[in-house]
Amino acid sequence: MELFDRIIFGFSVALLPINLLYGFVGTLLGTLIGVLPGLGPVATISILLPITFALEPQQAMIMLAGIYYGAQYGGSTTAILVNLPGESSSVVTCIDGYQMARQGKAGLALATAALASFMAGTFATLVIAAAAPQLAEVALEFGPADYFSLMVFGLVGAVILARGSVVKAIGMILIGILLGTIGIDVNSSVPRFTFGIPQFGDGIEFAVVAMGLFGIGETIANLSRGEAARTSVKDFSGLWPKLSDLRAIIPPSIRGMTLGSALGILPGGGPILAAFSAYSIEKKVAKDPSRFGNGAIEGVAGPESANNAAAQTSFIPMLTLGLPSNAVMALMIGALMMQGLHAGPQLMTNKPDLFWGLIASMWLGNLMLVILNLPLVGIWAKFLTVPYRFLYPGIILICCIGVYSINSSALDVMLACLFGLIGYIFHKLECEPAPLLLGLILGPLIEENMRRALLISKGNFETFIARPISLSFLILTAILIVFLAAPRLRSTRERAFQEQS
Amino acid sequence: MYRRTLLSLLLGGAALGILAAPAAAQVREDPSAYPSQTIRMVVPFAPGGASDFAARLIQPGMSEALGKQIVIENRAGAAGNVGMDVAARGAPDGYTLFLGNVGTVSINPYLYSDLTVKPERDFIPVTIVADTPGILIANPKFPPNNAKEFVAYAKANPGKVNFASPGSGSLNRLEMELFRKANGMDMTHIPYKGGAGPAVADIIGGHVEVMFTTISSAINHVKGGRLKALGVTTRDRVQALPEAPTLVEQGFPDNVSASWQGLLVPKGTPRPIIDKIHAAAVKAMSDENVRKRFLDSGTIPVTNRTPEEFKTFLEADAKKWSQVIKDVGATPD
Repeated sequence: MELFDRIIFGFSVALLPINLLYGFVGTLLGTLIGVLPGLGPVATISILLPITFALEPQQAMIMLAGIYYGAQYGGSTTAILVNLPGESSSVVTCIDGYQMARQGKAGLALATAALASFMAGTFATLVIAAAAPQLAEVALEFGPADYFSLMVFGLVGAVILARGSVVKAIGMILIGILLGTIGIDVNSSVPRFTFGIPQFGDGIEFAVVAMGLFGIGETIANLSRGEAARTSVKDFSGLWPKLSDLRAIIPPSIRGMTLGSALGILPGGGPILAAFSAYSIEKKVAKDPSRFGNGAIEGVAGPESANNAAAQTSFIPMLTLGLPSNAVMALMIGALMMQGLHAGPQLMTNKPDLFWGLIASMWLGNLMLVILNLPLVGIWAKFLTVPYRFLYPGIILICCIGVYSINSSALDVMLACLFGLIGYIFHKLECEPAPLLLGLILGPLIEENMRRALLISKGNFETFIARPISLSFLILTAILIVFLAAPRLRSTRERAFQEQS
Repeated sequence: MYRRTLLSLLLGGAALGILAAPAAAQVREDPSAYPSQTIRMVVPFAPGGASDFAARLIQPGMSEALGKQIVIENRAGAAGNVGMDVAARGAPDGYTLFLGNVGTVSINPYLYSDLTVKPERDFIPVTIVADTPGILIANPKFPPNNAKEFVAYAKANPGKVNFASPGSGSLNRLEMELFRKANGMDMTHIPYKGGAGPAVADIIGGHVEVMFTTISSAINHVKGGRLKALGVTTRDRVQALPEAPTLVEQGFPDNVSASWQGLLVPKGTPRPIIDKIHAAAVKAMSDENVRKRFLDSGTIPVTNRTPEEFKTFLEADAKKWSQVIKDVGATPD
């Protein structure tokens, strides 16, 4: 069987000691930056780009890939133990993972996250190996009109997954969309809300807002809460799940990894959207949705498997078409370019050792990560037992360095601090910042794709319902809105959230 | 121990920040002593792009030739204007280099009326480093197969053909406007953002029909049959894609253009220092491995331009694009 041969060939490359070493370095570094809030794979990989120039292409790619998916693992550790997303895609894991930890089930939550991620990593590796060429075709079918409808669907979905009041969630999304309009308009070239400052011409960097709201804002909020908040999470007992726990973990993991694998392929999708979507699906299929937000194990397993699967399948459009679906993939393309290689249809045929070696290394990397994250979780957690007076200045410093390293811009650092303050105010007002981030990502994409679709259709709105993909997403959106507005359902949802708070 | 790891990470990060900052003390030194400290090369675009690629390819060779490390400083924003501004403010002592390109140096000054930097006034050209030719690409299902058929098709279907570009004020948009105007074609412009990737993807997907782009962003798709090449913007055929005809040979002699990358230094940098930088750049570019990597990506390494020739080239380039901008009333993206 051809697939089998390819995978064997991949392992023959990935198992070379030097490649194993770089895979290990990557996953270790990924776990570290994943655990530490504010420092993400984008910043880390850009800092490391010059170093990879000296490596062989497959070693460079194996290490960089390890950082990326390693960060998804490490991020969940912080999310569970301190309620801080170590990685922006582990925002969702905070919701139930931290609650589990507070109930003395930190070990189980960590094990759930690691096992769900490992299952998803194994599955996603197989998906890439089996379907890389074919699956990329799916993403190509999406035109501007289809993207518009997909993004609208994503945004409406964001309202459902928001905790607390629907009105506040919609408000936060709208703030996010408004922030997203900052910059020079693509079509008319009109500068919007730039106040004549050239740095605002490209809008506000997503990472600046995310690090400010989550990294700095949460740090301030935690400080105001005092030391007591962290005391319940030092007990890692129950690290090895019981059979009954496994039974609770596996079904949501399967749902999460299926959804995550699909969303990872779509440009703009990726781990964050996958984690959010998986969470809302788990909530939908649960017999008793009120457990969500109170330490539901599905609320950890689903999003964790989804974000890891998405992190890996986002390699598919990058490797097979040279299309980056997110900032990390754009950096990967840059790393390949530095090696004189092109991400694209020919990579698989020209550099089969790189292509299949990288894929096999992903599975090996996932295996290393389970070892790094389960038996060694105590070590990572030690990073988090550093006293606040060391930890918080450290977090803020790392956030600032991370923010600065994106554009080497001091303005970005000041903005991140400003967003930190805003994040703290949101915290006091009990407004969840997650929908704001989604609005910030999706708002500009919705506008851009809608106007592009209309330019192509010469102003004819029928294009949105004439295309089957677009129509399907619009119908799904309509169903979501009906669900959201239905009085019976709304009261259930409100009751569910009230019980949480 | 863990705390120490954390600390070393912090220190490493802080050191990086310090390295990226301009050298604090600017003491006028004897040009013959140059270089005595780390040199920074300002790249006005994010890591991973074409400018960053060129910078990182020449960085090791130039550092070696000069005997001091060159640090790349990515200062992205406002179509490269942020980085150009940073570089222009650098001291004219040879420790600030600017990797400019056609967009920042030849196009932006005529697009952005409020630009504080005037490249002609604020920089001295050192050498052109690399030339990335343009290519006119189309979806394989688009009926025309060459530039002549494309002109005829667009004329027969006025307003029906859509062309993409990576932004309203981009070189690729201006290349198409130049072509469109000269041949009297009526087409709709669909601007994209985020570089060539998203626009090229929509050409591959068949959502938009044609565009000009750099050879490097299209070469593999053309070789893989996902795009067809209607013409390249060089005088002679491109080595990396010899099967693609030039626009010149198809009867469009005015459509010669390229997305170049070049080194510039702030005005006032002493000539002996400029000569040292020029020699180091030529040496770095002559390395067989570096040349190969440029050529493989569809970019032509350039090593035979003196600072004067580069200056003359820049004047002509700026004149050409400022005229196109005036003709089509293009505005910043």
